[in-house]
Amino acid sequence: MNRVRSVLAGHSWRHWAAWLEEPVSVAPLAAFRLVFGAVMLFSTLRFWALGWIEDHYIGVPFTFKYYGFEWVQVLPPGWMYALHAAMALGALGVMLGLLYRFSALLFFLSFTYTELIDLAYYLNHYYFVSLASFLLIWVPANRRCSIDAWLWPGVYGKEAPRWTVLVFKLQLAIVYIYAGLAKINTDWLIHALPLRIWVPANDKLPLIGPLFSWKATPYLFSWIGMLYDTLIVFFLAWPRTRLLAYLTVIVFHTLTGLMFQIGVFPIVMIGATWIYFSPAFHERLIGGIERAAPIPFLAAGPLRAKPAPRALGMMLVLFFAFQLVFPWRYLAYPGNVFWTEEGYRFSWRVMLMEKAGTATFYVTDRKTGRKGVVDNSEFLKPHQEKQMAMQPDMILQFAHFLARHYEKQGVHDPLVQVEAYVTLNARPSRLLIDPEVDLAQVEDGWKPKKWILPYEDESL
Amino acid sequence: MKTNSTLVLFLLFAVPGLLLTGCGTEGEGTPDFDREEMLLHYSANVIKPAFQGLQQEAENLDSQVGAFVDAPSAAALGSAKAAWLSAYAAWQSANAFNFGPAGEDGLRKGLIEEVGTWPVAVGKVENAITAADHSLSGFDRDARGFLAIEYLLFGGGEAEVLQQFEGSSSRRAHLKALTADVLARVQDVNEAWEGYEAEFVSNNGTDAGSSTSRLYNEWVRSFESAKNFKVGLPAGKRPGQVQSEPQLVEAFYSATSLAQLKAHLQAIEDIYYGGGEGDRQGPSLKTYLDNVVGGTALIAESEAQWANVMAALEAVPEGQPFRELIAAEDPTVEALHTELQRQTRFFKSDMSSLLGIAITFSSGDGD
Repeated sequence: MNRVRSVLAGHSWRHWAAWLEEPVSVAPLAAFRLVFGAVMLFSTLRFWALGWIEDHYIGVPFTFKYYGFEWVQVLPPGWMYALHAAMALGALGVMLGLLYRFSALLFFLSFTYTELIDLAYYLNHYYFVSLASFLLIWVPANRRCSIDAWLWPGVYGKEAPRWTVLVFKLQLAIVYIYAGLAKINTDWLIHALPLRIWVPANDKLPLIGPLFSWKATPYLFSWIGMLYDTLIVFFLAWPRTRLLAYLTVIVFHTLTGLMFQIGVFPIVMIGATWIYFSPAFHERLIGGIERAAPIPFLAAGPLRAKPAPRALGMMLVLFFAFQLVFPWRYLAYPGNVFWTEEGYRFSWRVMLMEKAGTATFYVTDRKTGRKGVVDNSEFLKPHQEKQMAMQPDMILQFAHFLARHYEKQGVHDPLVQVEAYVTLNARPSRLLIDPEVDLAQVEDGWKPKKWILPYEDESL
Repeated sequence: MKTNSTLVLFLLFAVPGLLLTGCGTEGEGTPDFDREEMLLHYSANVIKPAFQGLQQEAENLDSQVGAFVDAPSAAALGSAKAAWLSAYAAWQSANAFNFGPAGEDGLRKGLIEEVGTWPVAVGKVENAITAADHSLSGFDRDARGFLAIEYLLFGGGEAEVLQQFEGSSSRRAHLKALTADVLARVQDVNEAWEGYEAEFVSNNGTDAGSSTSRLYNEWVRSFESAKNFKVGLPAGKRPGQVQSEPQLVEAFYSATSLAQLKAHLQAIEDIYYGGGEGDRQGPSLKTYLDNVVGGTALIAESEAQWANVMAALEAVPEGQPFRELIAAEDPTVEALHTELQRQTRFFKSDMSSLLGIAITFSSGDGD
């Protein structure tokens, strides 16, 4: 019996591996590369043009670190610009398919380093960009419609192993489905919160604005949003509903893009979901571009059907296993994840709650007993302060910084306490952190943070 | 086939939503509030009158100072001082609108930095007088504005000040240059508001650059500056300060710090209610709050705390200059600072969260 099972398992493993290695059209991958590169180039140049490199990364006395990435430092101004130049060049290289693998690696490294500089600017869609650009490093997306294929005809090929396309579909599926599942909670579905706060705030949008002052609209949007996120990839994957589903993608992301200050995210998703279209569709698209391009592509090059190295396969399995498991870590912590934020990040919880706080830090000189009140704006940019005031691990980091800073200023053995009043989904604000605890003595880690005060639900 | 899939999508996305539309709580969260009307009310009935009143006072100050420097006398000095007190009181009602025409623009800082900076750099003022440099063109904002004028008018006993002016034409010219500079800046803002009003009213969203966001942000900043710079810092409430620093109080030379603070906090209250005494009609931040989810509860808590702030303010004795109370670390000042600190969260994070106002330009988490 056991032998039969192991044989079957072995057979099915080989079967699956062979299926994943089967050659399919490389056109969807080439199109993804073009769109992703273009959007990232636009995004990087936009960030630069808005003066955000300076706003975010120059002359900041303090940056919030990612746990485990404390070594990532903000660089001197010239290097911050150089880093963004590298990011733009990487994106351009990806878009054009020029020195493609190198460009993808350059983009992934420069983008990810930049994002790791300051936790205050964490965004789920930046996390998605890092993951997607990491995947791009390992796939031959430059086989068609690329400068590489023109310069080195050996690169050209019409096919690629199935897994190279599948990984992107899987990546997007994880993003959407987890974002949808996160919306299945009482506040979102029953109380239509936070949309009852956010929707009316947009009642002055042209044309559709008046719709947003209807009482029903937030409820409708909450349910549609949850169903959209949870199910859209299935409708995109199913040929019969694909076109309609894609139109939904455009409408949905355009609408959220108009309503919320979410930057390039809508374009990223509208572009990325293209990959669900059929090979035939992409074939027409990529073929059309190749024919229209002023440079001839040599349609020679045999497909090198080398199977993926086993190590790469293992790495990708771990990559996705991590993504599937990590978002559930919040279950290991007591309390409400919206309140404690233990396990909140890297879990595709997007636009899920309206939370804000005011954190007042008190620093006491243990020798003189003199107690002072910190003016946070002396050290933090408004966005940093806003993010810090409602997230316990950031409050702790800032408290440690204050202890170091004021010790240097001559405060003896500083005692740092915080009074952090936080409002969650329009409920009256209450204390997030035990105001008696000396945060200078508390270490961060994976264990539950006992200094976070419990959150009792209060209906509205 | 196409029809079927459309139907499937419709059923999945629309029906549950429609079913749920009846489930909302009544009252709150049904916005029939028009931000554009609110902005118009603030512009026409709060902001413009404040700047216009300030301009009248600045004109009066400039002309009284002109009379004094033309013919210095004890009486003329008295009139100039009275004009300064009256003008600076008007400034307290206008110091919270540092956006648009009164905001930063290139090298020009916000109006509050241009005319309301303290403590005054006495050395810089005296050096300019010695050098007969009355251009006021540098970046030394701590050597011009209302509080530099205050230093020159109130910086010593009456006889001493009179003697200083009689003996120095450069001092007379400098004082006149200072009042003319304040007047010119206030005039600029007033003129620009006429043209800006339409833009202010029509920029009716809640994004980071919207008028609601700017008005709200500057209002909170004004409250915070009263707490931090008019009370906290002089009282030595910053970590690292080892004692109170009474020389840092606002309006040090005229010894009117407490009166200025009262006028400032009254202005903060008036902005919240959308008007001054007896004229609190018109859509305001308060009525806006009354029309959003959770607004009623916040109004009750916030106003209860504000009553504590006002009570703590009343409890500060008026007979003694504020700077002396601060030097003595008087417990009423400490209590006032505590109550102001307790107010912050209601104004700062609770209110912006409930109103759905974006307060920074950085992107949020997209969906």
